[in-house]
Amino acid sequence: MTAEDHVQTPPDRAISRRRFLTRSAGTVAAFGVAAAVGVELRGRERPEPWDHSVFAPPGTAQVAVLQASSYDGDLENVVLGGLRAIGADVNGARVLLKPNMVEYDPGAVINTDPRLVAASVAALRRLGAAQVVVAEGPGHRRDTGYVVEASGLASHLRDAGASFVDLNVARAGEVPLAAAYTQLGTLWLPTAITSADVVVSMPKVKTHHWAGVTLSLKNCFGCLPGRMYGWPKNILHWQGIDASILDIAATVRPDLVIADGIVGMQGDGPISGTPAPLGAVIVADDPVAADVTITRMMGFDPEKLPYLMEAGRFLGQADPAKIRPVAEDPAAVTMAFAPAPGFDDLRSS
Amino acid sequence: MMSSVGMDPLSQLRARRNPDGGVGSVPGGASEPEATALVALALDDDGARTWLADQVGDDGRVCLVAGAAASDRTALAALAMHPGAEQEAALDHVVTTVANDIDPNASPRGWPWTLGAYGWVEPTAWGVLALRTLRPTATARIDDGIEMLRQRECAGGGWNYGTRTVNGVNLQPYVQTTSVALLGINGRDATAVARGARVLRSRWRAEASGLLSLATATVALQVLGDAAQPAARAAVASHRSLGDPEADTASLAWAVLALRDHPVEVFTP
Repeated sequence: MTAEDHVQTPPDRAISRRRFLTRSAGTVAAFGVAAAVGVELRGRERPEPWDHSVFAPPGTAQVAVLQASSYDGDLENVVLGGLRAIGADVNGARVLLKPNMVEYDPGAVINTDPRLVAASVAALRRLGAAQVVVAEGPGHRRDTGYVVEASGLASHLRDAGASFVDLNVARAGEVPLAAAYTQLGTLWLPTAITSADVVVSMPKVKTHHWAGVTLSLKNCFGCLPGRMYGWPKNILHWQGIDASILDIAATVRPDLVIADGIVGMQGDGPISGTPAPLGAVIVADDPVAADVTITRMMGFDPEKLPYLMEAGRFLGQADPAKIRPVAEDPAAVTMAFAPAPGFDDLRSS
Repeated sequence: MMSSVGMDPLSQLRARRNPDGGVGSVPGGASEPEATALVALALDDDGARTWLADQVGDDGRVCLVAGAAASDRTALAALAMHPGAEQEAALDHVVTTVANDIDPNASPRGWPWTLGAYGWVEPTAWGVLALRTLRPTATARIDDGIEMLRQRECAGGGWNYGTRTVNGVNLQPYVQTTSVALLGINGRDATAVARGARVLRSRWRAEASGLLSLATATVALQVLGDAAQPAARAAVASHRSLGDPEADTASLAWAVLALRDHPVEVFTP
């Protein structure tokens, strides 16, 4: 499966996703030794704890950077333009949008803005998606109903006639990890995730006081149910945050990215930072390429994020020469984000 | 308590009982410990209590397991079980389970969501409540849990998931976690309880759009005998989520508990 397959053959995605999960069953045992000894992400001779039959070498990725200075603009057409620019084909597909909704604070820019989520629902429908659902499992608040109502997302989804799935309580099942950077062995994943034809990661562009940045890959943490992993999902941090990002993103494997960089968060993210008006929506067909591009737009050096470089070995494209900008030049839409505490060295030199 | 779709929360919960006696987190879901324990308490349901007893492992644990993650719900399950050997085994597990197995010298330890990880407010509150109610002789563990709740209390009172500050920034309390923490600490620290009750009184309306937050607050206010409880209870009775056939089981069970005339006995050690 190549990066292009993600957007060119949506009817096969359900089969591909199921096949991927099944084929990965043997992967965990095969890579158990690597997990048991721990994988040095920066090591000299690193093992390759992923299934090469599932993860073909990353191909060329498309990233559309679209200027958007306000949530009150025509975001539906912004997103639609981005999806078309990257060649996203979701015709007939069951699409799951996964925004970042950790908790709700009316005075903070913590969450993917509900207006962008609603606009993405509409844009995907215009591209022929058979079904679009929005799903999230907030990591701090176990009362998802409160987060969804108070943030305004519920109101927007009611207006759009779209349904919401609370991933913290939704039906779930055990699936093997597609990589073995942690010792988790398996993941308890909602069937809403595993049965979707297309999973769209919708991060808020933020700094993160443990991971440096939190973008489309880290956003996959919210796919895991709190009723198994807790509030917060502390065992994932316990297993190593970089390793957990890799294992979870490899297993969830988002197909598309629609990132909310209209107003991001800088400084002490992902909860206590300050607004960062980057003024962009980023749409991509490859989560690694999206995160590499956005990290650079934030004024940081992606090569200083070990998990991101590791993801570029198998999960997506991290090589700038193979990331094709298909809208604005990303270098023209930048903002020097204040780094999270302890991440001063992330700044691009 | 009739909802807009004609099915009150009691009937909804009864309809969710699986043939094995347990209950899932959502309609049609496989039986799980937490949902079953809350339904056992809300409906005083023998089948649910029996299912919980059947889940007690050789080491006394009642867990949901996926790979290396063991989500420990033993304390809540013990509170919902019938007295007997299984409940005693579960309580033994609660007594011996400590958070943070990396640092054996850490203190206080509290209880984790998943075995071995750090301690957090809600599981610690359930551990304290289970022992205070059913194993009051376990004073060391009870005191440890109380101390953890004290240390994790937010500036100004109340609790969030369990982090008071991040990088020097005070974090806000949540209604739901404050409510569960109050069930654990009530009667042991009058000052912290008073601060937490004040948080509930000032915030329950703001978070009332979430049935889980509203219902847990109502139960806590009832246990405290607080004057705000009748208004919160009325808000539960008319909450829009009661009419949602897809509402999660835990929220519905808490709603049923909130609409009782008296708190269940295990909430008042």
